[in-house]
Amino acid sequence: MNTEATLRIAGTVQDSIVDGPGLRFTVFVQGCSHSCPGCQNPQTHDPNGGSTVFLDALLSQLDGNPLTDGLSLSGGEPMEQAEGCVLLARAAHQRGLDVWCWTGYLFESLLLGTAAQQSLLQEIDVLVDGPFLLEQRSLALPWRGSRNQRIIDVKKSLKIQKTVIYQSL
Amino acid sequence: MSSKSIKKRDGRIVAFDQRKISTAILKAFDAAYQPNMAGIAERLAIKVSSILEVEGAELPEVEHVQDLVELVLMEEDYPAAAKAYILYRSERARARALGERLKKIYEGITWSSAKTSDWKRENANINGDTAMGNLLKYGSESAKAYFQAYVLKPEFAAAHAAGDIHIHDLDFYTFTTTCTQIDILKLFHGGFSGTLGHLREPNDISTYSALACIALQSNQNDQHGGQSIANFDYGMAEGVRKTFVKRYRENLARAIELNLSDADAEDAVKSLSAKIVRESGLTPSLEGDGAYLALERSALSARYGISEQQAAAFQSFAHRHAKSETERATYQAMESLLHNLNTMESRAGAQVPFSSLNYGMDTSPEGRMAVKNLLLATEAGLGGGETPIFPIQIFRVKDGVNFNPGEPNYDLFKLACRCSAKRLFPNFIFQDAPFNLPYYQPGHPETEIATMGCRTRVVTNVHDPDRAITYQRGNLSFTSINLPRLAIEAHGDLDAFYAGLDRMLDLCVAQLLERFEIQSHRLARNFPFLMGQGVWLDSDCLKPGDEVREVLKHGTLSIGFIGLAEALVALTGEHHGQSEESQTLGLAIISRMRARTDAETEKQTLNFSLLATPAEGLAGRFAKIDQERYGILPGITDRAYYTNSFHIPVYFPISAWNKIRLEAPYHALTNGGHISYVEVDGDPAQNPEAFEKLIRYMKKCGIGYGSINHAVDHDPACGYTGIIQDVCPGCGRAEADGRSFERVRRITGYLVGTLDRFNNAKRAEEADRVKHGLDDEH
Repeated sequence: MNTEATLRIAGTVQDSIVDGPGLRFTVFVQGCSHSCPGCQNPQTHDPNGGSTVFLDALLSQLDGNPLTDGLSLSGGEPMEQAEGCVLLARAAHQRGLDVWCWTGYLFESLLLGTAAQQSLLQEIDVLVDGPFLLEQRSLALPWRGSRNQRIIDVKKSLKIQKTVIYQSL
Repeated sequence: MSSKSIKKRDGRIVAFDQRKISTAILKAFDAAYQPNMAGIAERLAIKVSSILEVEGAELPEVEHVQDLVELVLMEEDYPAAAKAYILYRSERARARALGERLKKIYEGITWSSAKTSDWKRENANINGDTAMGNLLKYGSESAKAYFQAYVLKPEFAAAHAAGDIHIHDLDFYTFTTTCTQIDILKLFHGGFSGTLGHLREPNDISTYSALACIALQSNQNDQHGGQSIANFDYGMAEGVRKTFVKRYRENLARAIELNLSDADAEDAVKSLSAKIVRESGLTPSLEGDGAYLALERSALSARYGISEQQAAAFQSFAHRHAKSETERATYQAMESLLHNLNTMESRAGAQVPFSSLNYGMDTSPEGRMAVKNLLLATEAGLGGGETPIFPIQIFRVKDGVNFNPGEPNYDLFKLACRCSAKRLFPNFIFQDAPFNLPYYQPGHPETEIATMGCRTRVVTNVHDPDRAITYQRGNLSFTSINLPRLAIEAHGDLDAFYAGLDRMLDLCVAQLLERFEIQSHRLARNFPFLMGQGVWLDSDCLKPGDEVREVLKHGTLSIGFIGLAEALVALTGEHHGQSEESQTLGLAIISRMRARTDAETEKQTLNFSLLATPAEGLAGRFAKIDQERYGILPGITDRAYYTNSFHIPVYFPISAWNKIRLEAPYHALTNGGHISYVEVDGDPAQNPEAFEKLIRYMKKCGIGYGSINHAVDHDPACGYTGIIQDVCPGCGRAEADGRSFERVRRITGYLVGTLDRFNNAKRAEEADRVKHGLDDEH
């Protein structure tokens, strides 16, 4: 892996139990252009905020925790830093971890997105997609904030070329 | 005489009376065995008066007059009387101090509410605002004050008052011992006696569970600590078995009555089945005992002239219905047990018993049914869906029994995880931990590890090595050492620290022995349930008037400690979560303490053990005293509490695996009891994989006893249970819209239903708790 590669992030969380099943290493990337009203993490919107870290540093954090079940890419908008995220996600997969990702874009439009976005999709197991809509907000939904958002089984969806909702909830 | 008046201690001014002086002097002569001194007393009193006159003070104070009496007695060469007088004065001063202290305490209890009074919230399980709560507090505070002034050896009282050590449950010093693991099967066999009557051996699961509650309640009236049932699964299994037999016979009779029009079927079946039991020793059972069923089939076909096939059809009808009825009855029994243990008050009606239930390794269908339904009832919650605060539930985890897929009770382990993820209980105790496994003998449930209250653990037995068991034993008393104080006083000099630690250990050993001596003089009849009903090991050999000394030797004397983390900061600048060197030092310190309790065990042939102290009131008390004494020392005295026992501070961000790894080795050292917690950042009921993974990792690392902490909030309006921020996810209302949300948290091992009952130190601690793994990973 390119040891010079970096990612602009807002922060990381170890042992998260709210960003997917099992214990997750969650990376909150910095920068998001959606500006959804009522967003939980407005401090992550500014593309010049947060701090730039080497992917190596993130990976050593990841490797330092033997309990981690998976990598969760949150934010911020991971799809706006797809180049860095894909390297991180690939590294997670190489370690036998699964990858969840949260995006404000729709899965279908990402399929037609940039080359980097498309290759990031290849490295994602489960995608929670769609903007956060305040009027559809619900606290009772697992893994998402508003009812319009979908939890998509990306591997299956890519295989059968049709959007498949993630099942094992 | 210039002064006609005198000023008393309380400020009142009364007329000067020389006769009072002569009377006091005469009493001093009497006390010194010097008779016929009335005349001399009179003369000395006049001398005191004349000195006062020469001094010419307008309003002499009574203390000064007494000083003059002492002086005159010495000058006139009556040393024995002078000594008696001085003793009398100091005795009076002590009594006055006690009186003043009590007055202050009583005023506090009487006129302040628990909302404003921190010490009324010292123990979160007591409602300090009720009549019985107040009465209990009056008694408790008076006892503490009296024991400190008159019973404890002065050096122990002084060390306690200064905060070098903490003598736990001081209010019960001369009365009783801490806790017991009740063997519920032994208690039930043949029935037992409550306060005013005999209870027959129960015959139905509903009675088994009701009597289990009564046993906990009754024993709680004899002891100040937690009450525990060591063998809840094995105990309830008998009740399930009996219920099944009864229901099976009823249903068999119904089938016969309906199909064969025999109105007397019930009696017929009963006597037929009883005969088989008598002759073969076989019974109907959940599992379906083939040999019994065969005997019953031929008896039925003989009696009713039916084919064995038809008899078998009746049997299978009866079995099916009996099974589902028993299941239902068991669920209801467990549900009512939870209700009872959260409502039945003990101890002057001021608090429910501190109850614990251990279970998990009984693989019989009946024991499994009991545990399954207890877990389901716990998961469902109380009447309004509330989280049951009691009992503390402890699930025993064991390879080969319930830890891995395919093992007989694996389903119960999974259910226990699911339940705990929602309700904080059960906790998990690990039979395979290297310090628990050696005592375990398969087929002997009394050797299965158990815990009571929040963490107390008893298993080795130097008094009777053949009975290194958990049943019918418990802790006698415990005293904790203020480790941060020793470290601060050492000023970075490790030798000085160890010297101080050894001195404290000496002090604790001596004090525990003093208390043991007092406890030993108690008589069996002082413990009508604990000793009177044979709950405590060997107590059935005692007559009511016998001293309990010999049987108490099965119990433990524990030395505990608070604030290893702050002590390490004081010694090295970093605690054991921050540096491996501190971890090494921490283990060396705790090992030294353990070596001492082991040595004392050998020397005294008494079960000394090292305890990772639960510290509800104490965490705040030591910190407060040390703050006053040393000021704010960063990382040491800068919070309202000291960290519990060997824990990594709750405010320190650390990943779960690292916390588990660092705390595990201390479990091996603290043979008197321990627990580790992991805090998670969300609702684990939504993420069972994460919950189970943490429990499995605890076992792997050699944790003895552990649990996962998470927020459990409840909206009484809609019944939602989970995490509630500002708005209830269940119904969308805000807290201000109606009744307050209930927020259950764990405090020194017990759950508390409302943060209002946390004392100040624990409130501060709760607010500081970091869910493991937030940013800035170390």
